[in-house]
Amino acid sequence: MKKIKLATVWLDGCAGCHMSLLDIDAGILTVAQKADIVYGPLVDAQEFPDEVDVTLVEGAVSSQEDLHKIQKIRQCTRTLVSLGDCAVTGNVPAMRNTIPVPKLLQRIYVEGVQENKSVPVDRVPPLLKQARPLRDYVKVDLHVPGCPPSAQAILAVVSDLLDGRNPEANAKLKFG
Amino acid sequence: MTQKKLSVRIDGELVNATEGQSILQVARAAGKYIPTLCYLEGLSSVGACRLCIVEVSGSGRLLPACTTPVQDGMSVTTNSPKLARYRRITLELLFAERNHTCSVCVSNGNCELQAMAKTLGVTSIRYPHNFPKLPVDLSHTRYVLDHNRCILCTRCVRVCAEVEGAHVWAVTARGIQSKIVSDLNQQWGEASNCTSCGKCVQACPTGALAEKGFAVEEMTKRSDHISMIAGRKGVHA
Amino acid sequence: MPRIQDIGTFNEVRESGMAKLVPPVPRIGIGMGTCGRGNGAEGVYHGFAEAIDRTGAEVVLANLGCFGCCSEEPIVNIRVPGRPLILLHQVQADDCKRILTDITTGKLTPDRVYCKIEEWDHITTHIRYGPGYPEIPHWHEVPFFKGQKKIVLRNCGFINPDDIEEYIAVGGYQALYKVLIDNRPEMVIEQIKASKLRGRGGAGYLTGNKWEFMARAKAEQKYVICNADEGDPGAYMNRNEIESDPHSLLEGMIIGGYVMGATQGIVYVRAEYPLAVHRLTRAVEQAREYGMLGQDILGRGFSFDIQIVEGAGAFVCGEETALIASLEGYAGRPRPRPPFPAQKGLWGMPTNINNVETWYNVAPIVMKGPAWFTETGSPKSAGTKVFSLVGKVHSTGLVELPLGTPLKTLVYDIGEGGVNGRSIKAVQSGGPSGGCIPQEMFDTPVDYESLAQLGAIMGSGGMVVMDEDNCMVDVSRFFLEFTHSESCGKCVPCRVGLNKALRILNAFTEGNATSQHLEVLDELGRMIRDCSLCGLGQSAPNPVLTTMRHFRHEFEDHILAHRCRAGVCQELALSPCENSCPLHMNIPRFLQLYKEGRLEEAFESVIMDNPLPASTGRVCQHPCDNRCRRQSIDEAVNMRDVHRFIADSVLLSDKYEDAVARIVARRMEPTGRKIAIAGAGPTGLTCAFYMAMLGHSVTIIESQPAPGGMLRYALPEYRLPKTVLDREIGLIEKLGVQFAYNQRVGFDVPLNELDDNYDAVFIAIGTWKESWLYLAGTELKGVYPALNFLEMVAKGESVKLGKRVAVIGGGNAAIDSARTAMRMGAEVNIIYRRERKDMPAIEEETEAARQEGARFSFLAAPHRIIGGPDGSVKAIEVVKTRLGEYDSSGRRKPVLTDEIQRFDCDAVVLAVGEVLDLDFARASGLQIKESGTIDYDRFSLETSRPRFYAGGDAISGASNVSNAMGYGKKAARIMDERLMGVQRWHDVFPSFEYDRTVPHETSQCRRHAGHHIPVSIRMRAADSIFPEVVDGLTPLEATEEANRCLRCDVKTVGAH
Repeated sequence: MKKIKLATVWLDGCAGCHMSLLDIDAGILTVAQKADIVYGPLVDAQEFPDEVDVTLVEGAVSSQEDLHKIQKIRQCTRTLVSLGDCAVTGNVPAMRNTIPVPKLLQRIYVEGVQENKSVPVDRVPPLLKQARPLRDYVKVDLHVPGCPPSAQAILAVVSDLLDGRNPEANAKLKFG
Repeated sequence: MTQKKLSVRIDGELVNATEGQSILQVARAAGKYIPTLCYLEGLSSVGACRLCIVEVSGSGRLLPACTTPVQDGMSVTTNSPKLARYRRITLELLFAERNHTCSVCVSNGNCELQAMAKTLGVTSIRYPHNFPKLPVDLSHTRYVLDHNRCILCTRCVRVCAEVEGAHVWAVTARGIQSKIVSDLNQQWGEASNCTSCGKCVQACPTGALAEKGFAVEEMTKRSDHISMIAGRKGVHA
Repeated sequence: MPRIQDIGTFNEVRESGMAKLVPPVPRIGIGMGTCGRGNGAEGVYHGFAEAIDRTGAEVVLANLGCFGCCSEEPIVNIRVPGRPLILLHQVQADDCKRILTDITTGKLTPDRVYCKIEEWDHITTHIRYGPGYPEIPHWHEVPFFKGQKKIVLRNCGFINPDDIEEYIAVGGYQALYKVLIDNRPEMVIEQIKASKLRGRGGAGYLTGNKWEFMARAKAEQKYVICNADEGDPGAYMNRNEIESDPHSLLEGMIIGGYVMGATQGIVYVRAEYPLAVHRLTRAVEQAREYGMLGQDILGRGFSFDIQIVEGAGAFVCGEETALIASLEGYAGRPRPRPPFPAQKGLWGMPTNINNVETWYNVAPIVMKGPAWFTETGSPKSAGTKVFSLVGKVHSTGLVELPLGTPLKTLVYDIGEGGVNGRSIKAVQSGGPSGGCIPQEMFDTPVDYESLAQLGAIMGSGGMVVMDEDNCMVDVSRFFLEFTHSESCGKCVPCRVGLNKALRILNAFTEGNATSQHLEVLDELGRMIRDCSLCGLGQSAPNPVLTTMRHFRHEFEDHILAHRCRAGVCQELALSPCENSCPLHMNIPRFLQLYKEGRLEEAFESVIMDNPLPASTGRVCQHPCDNRCRRQSIDEAVNMRDVHRFIADSVLLSDKYEDAVARIVARRMEPTGRKIAIAGAGPTGLTCAFYMAMLGHSVTIIESQPAPGGMLRYALPEYRLPKTVLDREIGLIEKLGVQFAYNQRVGFDVPLNELDDNYDAVFIAIGTWKESWLYLAGTELKGVYPALNFLEMVAKGESVKLGKRVAVIGGGNAAIDSARTAMRMGAEVNIIYRRERKDMPAIEEETEAARQEGARFSFLAAPHRIIGGPDGSVKAIEVVKTRLGEYDSSGRRKPVLTDEIQRFDCDAVVLAVGEVLDLDFARASGLQIKESGTIDYDRFSLETSRPRFYAGGDAISGASNVSNAMGYGKKAARIMDERLMGVQRWHDVFPSFEYDRTVPHETSQCRRHAGHHIPVSIRMRAADSIFPEVVDGLTPLEATEEANRCLRCDVKTVGAH
């Protein structure tokens, strides 16, 4: 049987969802039998492949770069999964949304530090006005809320997807 | 005066009721689940959150179970695909209205809104978030009011007026601008009517009203105590 | 005046009132409602007062309410004893002197006369003013009043609202007296029940049942309340009723109070209605003074008083439980029912709340009985309803109609259709709580049930008319914005749901919505409707749900085509003219470039937007004129003629070669893709131009021996000289487009062959087949289908017309045929079944035909053509028609009569419409729609066969040049995108730097039109070539026209 191509993506989030993903422990063996992880912070690939079956996305869309990434990922992915509250609702990254970006950067990089008081502009992608959930920009096929979603919840969802079942994991999922 | 006995059908099951009871009361007594957020046993019902809408045969409209009195022979459906869909929308709307960041909330894990989302299977929000800029009132010595987490259920308003009799809380402005205010729109700490009894905090279904000194996930509420106190004769102010 | 305690005093007051109403000297009454005042009625009043003062004329001056026709205000009514009441309209202060002089000398002021009233039925009494003035129309002969029945408005505009005696004079307070004397409250309730009167506030609950419910409630104190918190945008009937006749309201309430056992009445009136509040306050004071309110009313022992409470400006307070909360001093938030107000209302006491208009119906029902009342209206909705007819309609104002009257009567007969002849798109009934009713459904009778079926509601009676300038997405957004800001915030669906729905609608108007939003919005709308606590939330989604139902294509346009057809949504339209142009020419840009003296660039701008600019500059239907905002100052900018001027200046001059070279140089690198186009008409040529510019290799297959299609063979030389057309097509040839003539697609070239040899195929064939009339005699010699006739003439073939020609039809083909026939020396009679204003032909063309001597027989339909013994035409018989019901085009349907007319003639040209000859398509397997056009996808133009696209008349049916070209342009964009997989469309267009600020001043000149060559010269045919009739603008005129542009394309006002 052909192995399923699985990718994971880390946008504006704390990596907690990826940690939780690692917490599936021995479950990773089952996943590895059925899927190749073709892209993500846990593997080496540099370019997002052209055709991926399942992509788990952690984090909110916060910067221009996030936006480009998620649009490209959407084009190349069959089933796109928002993994965790940041991707689903904006969550913690979205807490900055009530503050205008220049004011925010000023507060953090100028008022908030003792030395090198300057807002970084080079080699950092410009922030979007607000950090927003994935579905505000692209069509999302499945939402897995949680901060982070528990390892069991992730494993249940991923296993269902790998086996071609519709994940009926809703009852196990919650915000926060 | 003895009240008239009625019989009603709830989800097909025949149950006994007393005249004057609401559909919600009768259904709960019969062990039927109807989701609610603004309802709190012991306080008056306002029919504001619309989660408790039910279908009543013969009525083309959906009716709130908490404020609709039962009538003899009434036949009520407490759940249907349409009701479930509408209830989910209601919850999504509440989540999209203000800044509900469960992961950093004192009531995370003990919140009625969060629990309701899990119960009704809401895993994402289809509507654009508003991300409004809302204040947090830390002026009270013992309690805190975080408007970001308020769902305007007015349980605090009612418990304060109906049980404590202090009438500290009210709703100001209208529509999406509506907001809970203490006394005459003063800081809570300066609201002289407040007796600091803490009933509002216990009645609050979310982390909007909380005791100071609790970190994330630490604030648990005992709204059942409110119902218990309110249930005693002569308590209502 | 003492309190009235007996019938004697009552009658004395009545006499005294009558003496004021119909004094023995002339009386001048001025309509002083808010609308009258807004139009200068106070100035008129003072004007008359001064003039009377100065002349010492024996004339009584009175202050009246409003007679309803707002667009004719200020209205003045004049009564000379024994003569009819004369209504003057649009009277201004400086007219007063001469009107007064005219009255005193027994004359009328003809330029201000509106109509006359010989007698008036006040329902509670009847006044005869007297006969006379046969030359003046009766009031009910004026279109605005035709069909109106004034029960609620029975006294409005006749009596002085500040004088209780005048109200008593017209039968006021008689009903109250009767009820008090009869002393049988339950009988009154029975009467109201039997009358089937329904609440006029919107919900339509049976008033009698409501009264009975309340009457049965036992309590120490009960209240009756009048809900005068009229807050719908576009509704003002309650304001007018109170301003014009406040005592009718009081009388209704006192009767209601008596029969329901209440002793206190409250009028909750909008504070934004100062005049209404003022007059009502005055009325309450007078009623107390005359013993109609207070203790022992009319000496019958009943005590009742009325208090006026001004609302705090919240729309939600129109909801009865919120109104009660507001009266109690709380914020206006509704509470769930039950308990109903009739059980537990104001201060916990039984309370009855009725709308203003409901109360106005009480006295008439008491006086005339329920049977009289149910004679009017429909079985389930008895009586009349007052509507405020506003928006994009010719005559606006308050209209009282029997319930059940079809909507089209209201819009077309009374409102007299759209403003400046624009077509009406929909009516929003019931304001922000109502729904929109599309023009196709104007047959709907206006009653509670029928409107509810359409998802609309009667509401308080606001009827906002919308035309093609209204974007339905924006309309629903507007109403939702209103309800959103008026939501009290208590329940979640209304508070948050409306907010989210508004945000989604904003995304539509900004062009950021997706197809998913349609579903989300629909579901959310239903949820808000079904789940909200009170009427505000339950009805707030109606405008959105109904517009989504009836105008889904507009929503789709916003998402899929990024277009707001009405040009309202700023992000989705450049300017109204650009938006109305099927080719979306950037009109402000070429006007500005030309204004800046940059003719070559202006030409480049024009030709890149429109590859046949000189032709369209002559024959385009110019929809841009109708949309030009300059019309609100004087007349539309003559965009078509400037565009023709720019095209002619380059195409027909020595600048041609250079210009062509520049365009050819812009051609993109060859792509290697091959495109076939069927038809070298305007659609095919346009598509070919753009596809060639985009680097594709294009072949056009044409059945005729030369290119141009209708432009060459249907448009006569005098409108479009073929030399002009040839120059334009020359450019397209220079771009490398190949032409294969004398070949018919589907016959000479099978579709399968195209499929094999080309990457994409565009079907752009024309409607060349005359839709033949089933008419006796069409087989006779001398009967020609219009297009055949025009084609034969264009090809120089000989056509035998004879002396007299009858042309049947009212479109452009009919006028072209008629004018051609006249140039061939014939006398022409154009026979059309409707009226001139209904003709689809370009108005200038019709006018030119008239000037050239064409006769018109309107309201005539062909009956049969009569032939002579030689088998050629001798005469035509027509049946006279009359105009009946309005059809879905907003025009009246011609109905045949028995009257037959005969015209002798030698030839008949049939120009009754053209259709597509689609035998080939049927054979090829392309799907054909019922309308006889090729089936296609509205957004991609793709047919049922992949890679085959269609456009122009082939999909729309016979249309006009610019529409056809618009399809060609759109098809090119879509086909290129699909062939190449990337968007390259915008790269083909040059960009220009030009002034993008609002001009300091625009030209004050009036519109310049092209110059018509005098008829005597133009009809002289040399070598059977008909000289062009219209000369273009001069350079100076073109500059001035360009200077008249207001630059609607400038979005942000530049710093000056």
